[in-house]
Amino acid sequence: MMIIKDWCSYCGACAGVCPKNCIEVKETSLVFDEDECSEKCDICIKTCPLHALEKQ
Amino acid sequence: MILMIKTDVLVVGSGPAGSSAAKHAAIGGADVILMDKKAEIGAPKRCAEGVSKNGLKRVGVEPNPSWVTRELDGVRLVAPDGTDVWLTNDKIEIPEAGYILERKVFDKYMAMDAAREGAKIFIKTQAKGVRKDGDGFIVTCEKMGELFEIKCKILIAADGPESHIARWAGLKTSTKAKDMESGIQYEMCNVKLKDRNVIEFYFGSVAPGGYVWIFPKEDDIANVGLAVLPNVAEKPAIEYLDDFVANCDSLQEAQPVEMNVGGDPVGGIHKKIYADNLLVVGDAAGQVNPLTGGGIISGMTGGLHAGKVAAKAIEEKDYSEKRLKEYDTNLRDAIGDEMKKYLKVKDYLLSLNDKELNSVANAFQDIEFEKANTEELVKNLIKVSPKAVLKLGKLF
Repeated sequence: MMIIKDWCSYCGACAGVCPKNCIEVKETSLVFDEDECSEKCDICIKTCPLHALEKQ
Repeated sequence: MILMIKTDVLVVGSGPAGSSAAKHAAIGGADVILMDKKAEIGAPKRCAEGVSKNGLKRVGVEPNPSWVTRELDGVRLVAPDGTDVWLTNDKIEIPEAGYILERKVFDKYMAMDAAREGAKIFIKTQAKGVRKDGDGFIVTCEKMGELFEIKCKILIAADGPESHIARWAGLKTSTKAKDMESGIQYEMCNVKLKDRNVIEFYFGSVAPGGYVWIFPKEDDIANVGLAVLPNVAEKPAIEYLDDFVANCDSLQEAQPVEMNVGGDPVGGIHKKIYADNLLVVGDAAGQVNPLTGGGIISGMTGGLHAGKVAAKAIEEKDYSEKRLKEYDTNLRDAIGDEMKKYLKVKDYLLSLNDKELNSVANAFQDIEFEKANTEELVKNLIKVSPKAVLKLGKLF
């Protein structure tokens, strides 16, 4: 499970680098396709400018 | 039964690239829908708001006082040890001089331009998925809980650095971590600059893989931001920015009124940005100057060419990849070479450590610049740095 901190600002940087294209960025929410996300990579976590993503 | 709307051209994303595409497709006579997921086009901004005057001219946009916050006279480049290089128009010619915009006004203005040419605008509308349907695409959309579909002959993907649309349609437009700048910015007041008409850049370990910018807006306001590359940064971008703000003399009394974040794809234009019934523009297509990270003009250039080609293709009833290739050709003729050159310069700059950057800034003190543009800077870089001669000598 990916934990999305409530200071996420929905900029979509994570979605752009996700090799599986499995992060949906809405205006005020971020949705991970948990079936697609392998959680083996941490590219999205590292790309976030705000440190708003964390693996559980 | 889900509602199905039909149109010639559907543009997903109403940033400057998408709105330009919508505008030019509409001028060319196509039926156009321009959709954006946000409640307010242009907000929040994900941008430092700098744009070159010539660039605006090239995409046919007249500057308007409602969205120009400041006209710039020059550039100040600051090395890690504080050695600075001033390039200002009292001494030299600045062909790339520019404006600092108010993107929240500018983006709406561009969308309105498209609407006044006949494009229909759907706001608060999110693309949920894309499927091929005969000679066209069907995009599933959601607007405040309601699902509906839009069927189009040509789909223009202008959905920013996320670039979902083109990927759903089968193109490889994801950005590698090493090519995605992780950006953060405060809009601040009480900013005390030495010259309020000069944009400032700070290089080196203050922002690994990127740089810090201070872009002055009206009065004592400025965008103060930075971008880092995730593969070389040791901490999140915001921590670098808070460190910079705490240590920068000009910002000791500065107070933030806004925080902006965003990803900026700086790996160059994606290899394939068109397919049957599909065109990709703006950040979604990697249309960003890899050196500066600036993407307003390059994205609008993409939008302009995509919109024009789409309108012609609609008129000729030929939406094939072969027909749409004209977009790729026109776009790369317009900005392809400079994007490639700037990518090499960026790679070179990234190879310099703080000590080497200091020595370049020192060597620049004795150089008389004739012009202040990127090309002139790189030419002089080649003069003072043996490493630059090797990597860039043939290009400039």
